[in-house]
Amino acid sequence: MLWVDDVVAGYHEGIDVLRGVTVRIEARRVTAVIGPNGAGKSTLLRVVFGLLVPRRGRVVFDGRDVQDLPPDTRKRLGIGYVPQGMSTFPHMTVEETLRVGGWTIRHDRLRLRDRIARVYDLFPSLAQLRRVRAGVLSGGQLRMLSIAKELVVMPSLLLVDEPTAGLAPRIADDVYRLLQRARELGIAVILVDQNITEAVALADHVWVVSMGRVQRAGPRESVAADLRSLVQEALIGTGG
Amino acid sequence: MDATLLTQYALAGLVIGAIYCLMAVGITFIYSVMRMINWAMGEFYMIGGYAQYLLITDWLGPERWYVALPLAIAGVGVLGMVVQRVLLRPMFAGGIERLDEYATIVTISLTVLFRNLAVVIFGPYQFSPRDYAPPVQLGPLPVNGSRFVAFLGAVALLGLFAWVVRRTWFGLAIRSVAQNRVGALSAGINLSRIDMLAFGIGVALAGAAGALLAPVFLVYPQSGALSTVKGFEIIVIGGLGSLTGSIVGGLLLGLVESLGSVLISPAFRDVYGFGLLVLILALRPTGLWGERAREA
Repeated sequence: MLWVDDVVAGYHEGIDVLRGVTVRIEARRVTAVIGPNGAGKSTLLRVVFGLLVPRRGRVVFDGRDVQDLPPDTRKRLGIGYVPQGMSTFPHMTVEETLRVGGWTIRHDRLRLRDRIARVYDLFPSLAQLRRVRAGVLSGGQLRMLSIAKELVVMPSLLLVDEPTAGLAPRIADDVYRLLQRARELGIAVILVDQNITEAVALADHVWVVSMGRVQRAGPRESVAADLRSLVQEALIGTGG
Repeated sequence: MDATLLTQYALAGLVIGAIYCLMAVGITFIYSVMRMINWAMGEFYMIGGYAQYLLITDWLGPERWYVALPLAIAGVGVLGMVVQRVLLRPMFAGGIERLDEYATIVTISLTVLFRNLAVVIFGPYQFSPRDYAPPVQLGPLPVNGSRFVAFLGAVALLGLFAWVVRRTWFGLAIRSVAQNRVGALSAGINLSRIDMLAFGIGVALAGAAGALLAPVFLVYPQSGALSTVKGFEIIVIGGLGSLTGSIVGGLLLGLVESLGSVLISPAFRDVYGFGLLVLILALRPTGLWGERAREA
Protein backbone atom coordinates (compact mmCIF):
# COMPACT_ATOMS: atom_id res chain seq x y z
CA MET A 1 0.00 0.00 0.00
CA LEU A 2 2.91 2.33 0.63
CA TRP A 3 6.04 2.33 -1.43
CA VAL A 4 8.88 4.73 -0.73
CA ASP A 5 11.27 4.61 -3.64
CA ASP A 6 14.84 5.87 -3.44
CA VAL A 7 13.92 8.94 -1.41
CA VAL A 8 16.53 11.59 -0.70
CA ALA A 9 15.43 14.37 1.66
CA GLY A 10 16.78 16.90 4.14
CA TYR A 11 16.01 20.20 5.82
CA HIS A 12 19.01 22.23 4.74
CA GLU A 13 20.63 22.66 1.37
CA GLY A 14 23.38 20.12 0.83
CA ILE A 15 22.62 18.07 3.95
CA ASP A 16 20.70 14.91 3.21
CA VAL A 17 19.04 13.23 6.17
CA LEU A 18 17.58 10.43 4.07
CA ARG A 19 20.03 9.17 1.50
CA GLY A 20 18.15 6.89 -0.78
CA VAL A 21 15.50 5.09 1.25
CA THR A 22 13.45 2.37 -0.40
CA VAL A 23 10.82 0.56 1.64
CA ARG A 24 7.47 -1.01 1.10
CA ILE A 25 4.72 -1.83 3.55
CA GLU A 26 1.62 -3.96 3.34
CA ALA A 27 -1.84 -3.11 4.55
CA ARG A 28 -2.82 -4.14 8.10
CA ARG A 29 0.73 -4.56 9.34
CA VAL A 30 2.66 -2.84 12.08
CA THR A 31 6.15 -1.84 11.05
CA ALA A 32 8.63 -0.75 13.70
CA VAL A 33 11.34 1.64 12.60
CA ILE A 34 14.35 1.46 14.86
CA GLY A 35 17.72 3.13 14.73
CA PRO A 36 19.96 5.60 16.55
CA ASN A 37 19.12 9.26 17.07
CA GLY A 38 19.53 11.30 13.93
CA ALA A 39 19.19 8.25 11.68
CA GLY A 40 16.28 9.78 9.82
CA LYS A 41 13.35 7.83 11.33
CA SER A 42 11.16 10.85 12.04
CA THR A 43 12.22 12.44 8.77
CA LEU A 44 10.96 9.38 6.94
CA LEU A 45 7.53 9.82 8.55
CA ARG A 46 7.54 13.51 7.67
CA VAL A 47 8.25 12.67 4.04
CA VAL A 48 5.43 10.13 3.95
CA PHE A 49 2.94 12.63 5.43
CA GLY A 50 4.15 15.45 3.19
CA LEU A 51 5.66 17.80 5.75
CA LEU A 52 8.94 17.51 3.90
CA VAL A 53 9.18 17.31 0.12
CA PRO A 54 11.88 14.87 -0.99
CA ARG A 55 14.65 16.14 -3.23
CA ARG A 56 14.54 12.92 -5.18
CA GLY A 57 12.48 9.75 -5.29
CA ARG A 58 8.83 8.79 -5.14
CA VAL A 59 6.26 8.11 -2.47
CA VAL A 60 3.47 5.90 -3.78
CA PHE A 61 0.36 5.35 -1.68
CA ASP A 62 -2.38 2.99 -2.87
CA GLY A 63 -0.96 3.05 -6.37
CA ARG A 64 -0.82 6.83 -6.57
CA ASP A 65 2.21 9.13 -6.63
CA VAL A 66 1.79 11.41 -3.61
CA GLN A 67 5.23 12.99 -3.17
CA ASP A 68 3.99 16.33 -4.50
CA LEU A 69 0.69 16.40 -2.62
CA PRO A 70 0.28 18.59 0.49
CA PRO A 71 -0.42 16.96 3.89
CA ASP A 72 -4.13 17.80 3.92
CA THR A 73 -4.62 15.95 0.63
CA ARG A 74 -2.70 12.94 1.91
CA LYS A 75 -4.86 12.95 5.00
CA ARG A 76 -7.93 12.70 2.78
CA LEU A 77 -6.36 9.76 0.94
CA GLY A 78 -6.07 7.87 4.22
CA ILE A 79 -2.71 8.68 5.78
CA GLY A 80 -2.79 9.69 9.44
CA TYR A 81 0.11 11.18 11.37
CA VAL A 82 0.69 11.40 15.10
CA PRO A 83 3.66 13.74 15.44
CA GLN A 84 6.26 13.62 18.17
CA GLY A 85 5.24 15.63 21.23
CA MET A 86 1.75 17.05 21.51
CA SER A 87 -0.68 17.38 18.66
CA THR A 88 -3.61 18.39 20.87
CA PHE A 89 -5.01 21.83 21.67
CA PRO A 90 -4.68 23.09 25.25
CA HIS A 91 -7.87 25.17 25.28
CA MET A 92 -10.10 22.67 23.53
CA THR A 93 -12.17 20.00 25.17
CA VAL A 94 -11.65 16.34 24.33
CA GLU A 95 -14.83 16.42 22.25
CA GLU A 96 -13.69 19.49 20.29
CA THR A 97 -10.29 17.89 19.69
CA LEU A 98 -11.95 14.82 18.19
CA ARG A 99 -14.09 17.05 16.00
CA VAL A 100 -10.92 18.69 14.70
CA GLY A 101 -9.65 15.16 14.05
CA GLY A 102 -12.75 14.63 11.92
CA TRP A 103 -12.13 17.80 9.91
CA THR A 104 -11.88 16.00 6.55
CA ILE A 105 -15.27 14.30 7.02
CA ARG A 106 -17.02 17.29 8.63
CA HIS A 107 -19.61 17.62 5.88
CA ASP A 108 -20.96 14.15 6.62
CA ARG A 109 -22.48 14.84 10.03
CA LEU A 110 -23.88 11.39 10.70
CA ARG A 111 -20.66 9.67 9.77
CA LEU A 112 -18.67 12.05 11.95
CA ARG A 113 -20.94 11.47 14.94
CA ASP A 114 -20.74 7.73 14.42
CA ARG A 115 -16.95 7.81 14.14
CA ILE A 116 -16.52 9.88 17.28
CA ALA A 117 -18.81 7.46 19.14
CA ARG A 118 -16.62 4.58 17.98
CA VAL A 119 -13.49 6.34 19.12
CA TYR A 120 -15.08 6.71 22.57
CA ASP A 121 -15.75 2.96 22.51
CA LEU A 122 -12.08 2.40 21.82
CA PHE A 123 -11.03 4.87 24.49
CA PRO A 124 -13.56 4.58 27.32
CA SER A 125 -11.36 6.76 29.53
CA LEU A 126 -11.67 9.65 27.06
CA ALA A 127 -15.45 9.29 26.97
CA GLN A 128 -15.58 10.37 30.60
CA LEU A 129 -13.44 13.40 29.85
CA ARG A 130 -15.27 14.70 26.82
CA ARG A 131 -16.06 18.08 28.34
CA VAL A 132 -12.61 18.48 29.89
CA ARG A 133 -10.04 20.80 28.37
CA ALA A 134 -6.93 19.12 27.00
CA GLY A 135 -4.75 21.55 28.96
CA VAL A 136 -5.53 19.79 32.24
CA LEU A 137 -5.03 16.20 31.02
CA SER A 138 -2.01 14.11 32.00
CA GLY A 139 0.79 13.30 29.56
CA GLY A 140 -0.54 9.79 29.00
CA GLN A 141 -4.09 11.01 28.42
CA LEU A 142 -2.83 13.58 25.92
CA ARG A 143 -0.92 10.91 24.03
CA MET A 144 -4.08 8.80 23.90
CA LEU A 145 -6.04 11.82 22.71
CA SER A 146 -3.43 12.51 20.00
CA ILE A 147 -3.89 8.99 18.67
CA ALA A 148 -7.67 9.05 19.13
CA LYS A 149 -7.83 12.29 17.15
CA GLU A 150 -6.23 10.58 14.16
CA LEU A 151 -8.46 7.51 14.43
CA VAL A 152 -11.65 9.54 13.96
CA VAL A 153 -11.29 9.38 10.17
CA MET A 154 -10.07 5.75 10.23
CA PRO A 155 -6.93 6.13 8.14
CA SER A 156 -5.61 3.10 6.28
CA LEU A 157 -2.05 4.03 7.26
CA LEU A 158 -1.09 5.60 10.57
CA LEU A 159 2.35 7.11 11.12
CA VAL A 160 3.23 7.28 14.81
CA ASP A 161 6.32 9.15 15.99
CA GLU A 162 7.64 8.32 19.46
CA PRO A 163 4.25 7.75 21.10
CA THR A 164 5.67 6.58 24.41
CA ALA A 165 8.48 9.09 24.94
CA GLY A 166 8.34 10.36 28.50
CA LEU A 167 5.52 8.05 29.58
CA ALA A 168 5.54 5.73 32.58
CA PRO A 169 5.98 2.08 31.47
CA ARG A 170 2.45 1.12 32.49
CA ILE A 171 0.96 3.92 30.42
CA ALA A 172 3.28 3.12 27.53
CA ASP A 173 1.80 -0.40 27.58
CA ASP A 174 -1.65 1.11 27.10
CA VAL A 175 -0.38 2.97 24.05
CA TYR A 176 1.06 -0.23 22.57
CA ARG A 177 -2.18 -2.09 23.23
CA LEU A 178 -3.98 0.66 21.41
CA LEU A 179 -1.72 0.42 18.38
CA GLN A 180 -2.34 -3.31 18.35
CA ARG A 181 -6.04 -2.57 18.39
CA ALA A 182 -5.55 -0.20 15.43
CA ARG A 183 -4.03 -3.08 13.47
CA GLU A 184 -7.01 -5.26 14.31
CA LEU A 185 -9.21 -2.51 12.89
CA GLY A 186 -7.35 -2.85 9.60
CA ILE A 187 -4.96 0.08 9.95
CA ALA A 188 -1.34 -0.26 8.88
CA VAL A 189 0.97 1.38 11.40
CA ILE A 190 4.49 2.68 11.00
CA LEU A 191 5.88 3.11 14.48
CA VAL A 192 9.02 5.04 15.30
CA ASP A 193 10.03 4.26 18.85
CA GLN A 194 13.00 4.38 21.19
CA ASN A 195 11.70 1.44 23.20
CA ILE A 196 13.13 -1.06 20.77
CA THR A 197 12.12 -4.22 22.61
CA GLU A 198 8.49 -3.22 22.98
CA ALA A 199 8.21 -1.83 19.47
CA VAL A 200 9.67 -4.96 17.93
CA ALA A 201 7.44 -7.18 20.08
CA LEU A 202 4.42 -5.41 18.65
CA ALA A 203 5.61 -5.28 15.05
CA ASP A 204 5.07 -7.58 12.09
CA HIS A 205 7.98 -6.00 10.26
CA VAL A 206 11.07 -4.21 11.41
CA TRP A 207 13.25 -1.69 9.60
CA VAL A 208 16.63 -0.81 10.97
CA VAL A 209 17.56 2.69 9.89
CA SER A 210 20.88 4.36 10.32
CA MET A 211 22.83 7.09 8.55
CA GLY A 212 19.84 7.91 6.39
CA ARG A 213 19.48 4.44 4.93
CA VAL A 214 17.47 1.34 5.69
CA GLN A 215 20.16 -1.10 6.73
CA ARG A 216 17.89 -4.06 7.29
CA ALA A 217 14.24 -4.79 6.72
CA GLY A 218 12.30 -7.93 7.28
CA PRO A 219 9.66 -9.79 9.22
CA ARG A 220 10.00 -9.60 12.98
CA GLU A 221 11.09 -13.24 13.32
CA SER A 222 14.10 -12.73 11.08
CA VAL A 223 15.15 -9.63 12.96
CA ALA A 224 14.18 -10.69 16.47
CA ALA A 225 16.85 -13.40 16.51
CA ASP A 226 19.64 -10.86 16.58
CA LEU A 227 17.70 -8.15 18.37
CA ARG A 228 20.48 -7.83 20.91
CA SER A 229 23.06 -6.80 18.39
CA LEU A 230 20.49 -4.57 16.71
CA VAL A 231 19.85 -2.76 19.95
CA GLN A 232 23.55 -2.28 20.33
CA GLU A 233 23.85 -0.98 16.80
CA ALA A 234 20.90 1.29 17.31
CA LEU A 235 22.27 2.75 20.50
CA ILE A 236 25.78 3.38 19.33
CA GLY A 237 24.93 3.90 15.69
CA THR A 238 27.38 1.55 14.05
CA GLY A 239 24.76 -0.07 11.89
CA GLY A 240 25.80 -1.15 8.38
CA MET B 1 -19.58 67.85 37.84
CA ASP B 2 -22.93 67.32 36.23
CA ALA B 3 -23.88 63.65 36.25
CA THR B 4 -25.59 63.85 32.87
CA LEU B 5 -22.50 65.31 31.28
CA LEU B 6 -20.33 62.68 32.88
CA THR B 7 -22.58 59.88 31.65
CA GLN B 8 -22.52 61.42 28.23
CA TYR B 9 -18.74 61.40 28.15
CA ALA B 10 -18.60 57.87 29.50
CA LEU B 11 -20.98 56.79 26.79
CA ALA B 12 -18.91 58.57 24.16
CA GLY B 13 -15.88 56.74 25.54
CA LEU B 14 -17.58 53.37 25.24
CA VAL B 15 -18.67 54.19 21.69
CA ILE B 16 -15.12 54.95 20.61
CA GLY B 17 -13.85 52.05 22.74
CA ALA B 18 -15.96 49.61 20.74
CA ILE B 19 -14.24 50.81 17.59
CA TYR B 20 -10.82 50.44 19.24
CA CYS B 21 -11.87 46.87 20.04
CA LEU B 22 -12.17 46.12 16.34
CA MET B 23 -8.56 47.19 15.77
CA ALA B 24 -7.25 45.32 18.77
CA VAL B 25 -9.19 42.13 18.06
CA GLY B 26 -7.85 42.22 14.49
CA ILE B 27 -4.25 42.50 15.70
CA THR B 28 -4.72 39.79 18.33
CA PHE B 29 -6.44 37.48 15.89
CA ILE B 30 -3.64 37.68 13.31
CA TYR B 31 -1.05 37.29 16.05
CA SER B 32 -2.80 34.24 17.50
CA VAL B 33 -3.06 32.40 14.21
CA MET B 34 0.14 33.38 12.43
CA ARG B 35 2.33 34.38 15.40
CA MET B 36 3.19 37.63 13.68
CA ILE B 37 2.43 41.26 14.35
CA ASN B 38 0.87 43.17 11.52
CA TRP B 39 2.31 46.67 11.80
CA ALA B 40 0.31 47.81 8.78
CA MET B 41 -3.00 47.45 10.63
CA GLY B 42 -3.58 51.23 10.64
CA GLU B 43 -3.08 51.37 6.89
CA PHE B 44 -5.86 48.85 6.39
CA TYR B 45 -7.95 51.11 8.63
CA MET B 46 -7.02 54.04 6.38
CA ILE B 47 -7.88 52.06 3.22
CA GLY B 48 -11.25 51.13 4.74
CA GLY B 49 -11.91 54.85 5.24
CA TYR B 50 -11.01 55.73 1.64
CA ALA B 51 -13.05 52.83 0.28
CA GLN B 52 -16.09 53.94 2.24
CA TYR B 53 -15.59 57.56 1.17
CA LEU B 54 -15.32 56.66 -2.52
CA LEU B 55 -18.28 54.31 -2.37
CA ILE B 56 -20.65 56.78 -0.78
CA THR B 57 -19.54 59.97 -2.49
CA ASP B 58 -18.82 58.72 -6.02
CA TRP B 59 -20.64 55.46 -6.62
CA LEU B 60 -23.52 54.62 -4.37
CA GLY B 61 -24.56 57.94 -2.96
CA PRO B 62 -24.50 59.01 0.69
CA GLU B 63 -27.93 57.61 1.48
CA ARG B 64 -26.73 54.09 0.70
CA TRP B 65 -23.89 54.08 3.22
CA TYR B 66 -25.21 50.81 4.67
CA VAL B 67 -24.57 49.11 1.31
CA ALA B 68 -21.16 50.70 1.11
CA LEU B 69 -20.05 49.47 4.55
CA PRO B 70 -20.03 45.73 3.84
CA LEU B 71 -18.46 46.37 0.43
CA ALA B 72 -15.65 48.45 1.93
CA ILE B 73 -15.05 45.85 4.64
CA ALA B 74 -15.01 42.97 2.16
CA GLY B 75 -12.72 44.94 -0.15
CA VAL B 76 -10.16 45.43 2.62
CA GLY B 77 -10.47 41.73 3.50
CA VAL B 78 -9.74 40.69 -0.08
CA LEU B 79 -6.79 43.07 -0.26
CA GLY B 80 -5.50 41.50 2.97
CA MET B 81 -5.78 38.01 1.52
CA VAL B 82 -3.84 39.07 -1.56
CA VAL B 83 -1.13 40.63 0.62
CA GLN B 84 -0.95 37.45 2.71
CA ARG B 85 -0.84 35.20 -0.35
CA VAL B 86 1.84 37.17 -2.18
CA LEU B 87 4.01 38.69 0.56
CA LEU B 88 3.52 36.72 3.75
CA ARG B 89 2.98 33.13 2.70
CA PRO B 90 6.63 32.72 1.68
CA MET B 91 7.56 33.04 5.36
CA PHE B 92 5.90 29.69 6.07
CA ALA B 93 7.19 27.95 2.97
CA GLY B 94 10.54 27.20 4.56
CA GLY B 95 13.87 28.80 3.82
CA ILE B 96 13.19 31.86 5.97
CA GLU B 97 14.63 31.40 9.40
CA ARG B 98 13.44 34.41 11.36
CA LEU B 99 9.74 34.54 10.76
CA ASP B 100 8.89 37.45 13.01
CA GLU B 101 11.63 39.64 11.60
CA TYR B 102 10.48 38.87 8.09
CA ALA B 103 6.88 39.72 8.99
CA THR B 104 7.96 42.92 10.73
CA ILE B 105 9.96 44.14 7.75
CA VAL B 106 7.22 43.26 5.27
CA THR B 107 4.40 44.89 7.22
CA ILE B 108 6.37 48.04 8.10
CA SER B 109 7.27 48.39 4.42
CA LEU B 110 3.58 48.06 3.65
CA THR B 111 2.74 51.01 5.89
CA VAL B 112 5.15 53.18 3.90
CA LEU B 113 3.85 51.86 0.60
CA PHE B 114 0.15 52.29 1.40
CA ARG B 115 0.53 55.76 2.89
CA ASN B 116 2.45 57.00 -0.11
CA LEU B 117 0.09 55.33 -2.54
CA ALA B 118 -2.72 57.20 -0.83
CA VAL B 119 -0.85 60.47 -1.30
CA VAL B 120 -0.19 59.67 -4.97
CA ILE B 121 -3.76 58.63 -5.72
CA PHE B 122 -5.82 60.99 -3.56
CA GLY B 123 -3.37 63.73 -2.70
CA PRO B 124 -2.52 64.88 0.83
CA TYR B 125 -6.06 66.14 1.40
CA GLN B 126 -8.48 65.32 4.15
CA PHE B 127 -11.84 63.97 3.09
CA SER B 128 -14.98 63.82 5.14
CA PRO B 129 -18.00 61.78 4.03
CA ARG B 130 -21.41 62.98 5.08
CA ASP B 131 -22.87 61.81 8.39
CA TYR B 132 -24.53 58.41 8.32
CA ALA B 133 -27.46 59.42 10.44
CA PRO B 134 -28.89 62.47 12.24
CA PRO B 135 -28.18 62.79 15.98
CA VAL B 136 -29.86 60.16 18.12
CA GLN B 137 -31.37 60.66 21.54
CA LEU B 138 -30.25 57.90 23.96
CA GLY B 139 -32.41 58.53 27.00
CA PRO B 140 -31.36 62.01 28.14
CA LEU B 141 -28.22 61.98 25.99
CA PRO B 142 -27.86 63.23 22.44
CA VAL B 143 -25.39 61.11 20.47
CA ASN B 144 -23.82 61.94 17.14
CA GLY B 145 -25.58 59.76 14.54
CA SER B 146 -22.43 58.56 12.80
CA ARG B 147 -20.86 57.58 16.10
CA PHE B 148 -23.98 55.70 17.04
CA VAL B 149 -23.94 53.81 13.74
CA ALA B 150 -20.23 53.13 14.20
CA PHE B 151 -20.87 51.77 17.69
CA LEU B 152 -23.70 49.49 16.56
CA GLY B 153 -21.64 48.34 13.59
CA ALA B 154 -18.66 47.55 15.80
CA VAL B 155 -20.77 45.62 18.30
CA ALA B 156 -22.48 43.67 15.50
CA LEU B 157 -19.17 42.81 13.86
CA LEU B 158 -17.58 41.73 17.15
CA GLY B 159 -20.62 39.57 17.85
CA LEU B 160 -20.43 38.00 14.41
CA PHE B 161 -16.71 37.44 14.85
CA ALA B 162 -17.20 35.75 18.23
CA TRP B 163 -19.93 33.55 16.78
CA VAL B 164 -17.74 32.46 13.86
CA VAL B 165 -14.77 31.68 16.11
CA ARG B 166 -16.75 29.82 18.77
CA ARG B 167 -19.55 28.13 16.86
CA THR B 168 -18.52 27.28 13.31
CA TRP B 169 -16.26 24.65 11.74
CA PHE B 170 -14.14 27.42 10.32
CA GLY B 171 -13.76 28.85 13.82
CA LEU B 172 -12.78 25.44 15.16
CA ALA B 173 -10.10 25.19 12.48
CA ILE B 174 -8.87 28.70 13.31
CA ARG B 175 -8.64 27.87 17.02
CA SER B 176 -6.81 24.63 16.31
CA VAL B 177 -4.24 26.42 14.14
CA ALA B 178 -3.79 29.09 16.82
CA GLN B 179 -3.22 26.51 19.55
CA ASN B 180 -1.08 23.95 17.73
CA ARG B 181 -0.13 24.26 14.09
CA VAL B 182 1.26 20.74 13.79
CA GLY B 183 -1.83 19.32 15.48
CA ALA B 184 -4.04 21.17 12.99
CA LEU B 185 -1.91 19.98 10.09
CA SER B 186 -2.12 16.36 11.17
CA ALA B 187 -5.91 16.71 11.26
CA GLY B 188 -5.82 17.58 7.56
CA ILE B 189 -6.43 21.32 7.90
CA ASN B 190 -4.92 23.37 5.10
CA LEU B 191 -2.76 25.80 7.07
CA SER B 192 -1.97 28.19 4.26
CA ARG B 193 -5.67 28.63 3.48
CA ILE B 194 -6.49 29.26 7.13
CA ASP B 195 -3.61 31.76 7.41
CA MET B 196 -4.82 33.61 4.36
CA LEU B 197 -8.42 33.79 5.55
CA ALA B 198 -7.37 34.76 9.09
CA PHE B 199 -5.21 37.58 7.81
CA GLY B 200 -8.04 38.75 5.56
CA ILE B 201 -10.52 38.72 8.44
CA GLY B 202 -8.07 40.44 10.81
CA VAL B 203 -7.39 43.35 8.47
CA ALA B 204 -11.07 43.50 7.48
CA LEU B 205 -11.80 44.33 11.14
CA ALA B 206 -9.39 47.26 10.86
CA GLY B 207 -10.99 48.22 7.55
CA ALA B 208 -14.37 48.09 9.24
CA ALA B 209 -13.18 50.48 11.94
CA GLY B 210 -11.90 52.85 9.25
CA ALA B 211 -15.08 52.66 7.21
CA LEU B 212 -17.37 53.07 10.23
CA LEU B 213 -15.43 56.06 11.51
CA ALA B 214 -14.97 57.75 8.12
CA PRO B 215 -17.55 60.48 8.82
CA VAL B 216 -16.39 60.93 12.43
CA PHE B 217 -12.67 61.32 11.94
CA LEU B 218 -11.31 62.51 8.62
CA VAL B 219 -9.98 60.30 5.86
CA TYR B 220 -6.36 61.10 4.91
CA PRO B 221 -3.13 59.21 4.17
CA GLN B 222 -1.85 59.18 7.77
CA SER B 223 -5.22 58.55 9.37
CA GLY B 224 -4.23 55.02 10.35
CA ALA B 225 -1.06 55.92 12.24
CA LEU B 226 -2.72 56.75 15.53
CA SER B 227 -5.11 53.81 15.33
CA THR B 228 -2.20 51.37 15.05
CA VAL B 229 -0.67 52.86 18.18
CA LYS B 230 -4.01 52.63 19.99
CA GLY B 231 -4.41 49.05 18.83
CA PHE B 232 -1.08 48.10 20.35
CA GLU B 233 -1.82 50.02 23.53
CA ILE B 234 -4.93 47.91 23.94
CA ILE B 235 -3.08 44.68 23.19
CA VAL B 236 -0.56 45.42 25.92
CA ILE B 237 -3.27 46.48 28.37
CA GLY B 238 -5.40 43.42 27.64
CA GLY B 239 -2.54 40.97 27.23
CA LEU B 240 -1.10 39.74 23.95
CA GLY B 241 -3.02 36.84 22.48
CA SER B 242 -6.23 37.25 24.45
CA LEU B 243 -9.41 38.22 22.62
CA THR B 244 -11.22 38.98 25.88
CA GLY B 245 -8.31 41.20 26.86
CA SER B 246 -8.58 43.06 23.55
CA ILE B 247 -12.24 43.80 24.10
CA VAL B 248 -11.92 44.85 27.73
CA GLY B 249 -8.78 46.85 26.90
CA GLY B 250 -10.50 48.63 24.02
CA LEU B 251 -13.48 49.69 26.11
CA LEU B 252 -11.22 50.71 28.97
CA LEU B 253 -9.04 52.84 26.72
CA GLY B 254 -12.08 54.57 25.22
CA LEU B 255 -13.45 55.30 28.70
CA VAL B 256 -10.16 56.58 30.09
CA GLU B 257 -9.57 58.87 27.13
CA SER B 258 -13.04 60.29 27.25
CA LEU B 259 -13.25 60.76 31.01
CA GLY B 260 -9.69 62.11 31.15
CA SER B 261 -10.65 64.69 28.53
CA VAL B 262 -13.59 65.95 30.54
CA LEU B 263 -12.14 65.64 34.04
CA ILE B 264 -8.62 66.88 33.33
CA SER B 265 -8.13 68.41 29.92
CA PRO B 266 -8.93 67.35 26.35
CA ALA B 267 -5.46 68.51 25.28
CA PHE B 268 -3.84 65.37 26.68
CA ARG B 269 -6.41 62.93 25.32
CA ASP B 270 -3.81 60.53 23.89
CA VAL B 271 -1.71 60.68 27.05
CA TYR B 272 -4.35 59.12 29.32
CA GLY B 273 -4.20 55.85 27.45
CA PHE B 274 -0.45 55.66 27.93
CA GLY B 275 -0.89 56.47 31.60
CA LEU B 276 -3.25 53.53 31.87
CA LEU B 277 -0.77 51.41 29.97
CA VAL B 278 2.07 52.27 32.35
CA LEU B 279 -0.14 51.65 35.36
CA ILE B 280 -1.24 48.23 34.14
CA LEU B 281 2.28 47.22 33.18
CA ALA B 282 3.45 48.15 36.66
CA LEU B 283 0.70 46.12 38.33
CA ARG B 284 0.37 43.23 35.88
CA PRO B 285 3.28 43.00 33.44
CA THR B 286 1.51 40.38 31.31
CA GLY B 287 -1.51 42.63 30.78
CA LEU B 288 -4.96 41.96 32.18
CA TRP B 289 -5.45 38.63 30.38
CA GLY B 290 -1.89 37.99 29.27
CA GLU B 291 -0.97 34.32 28.66
CA ARG B 292 -3.53 33.13 31.16
CA ALA B 293 -6.13 32.71 28.47
CA ARG B 294 -5.10 32.39 24.88
CA GLU B 295 -8.36 31.37 23.28
CA ALA B 296 -7.93 31.72 19.59
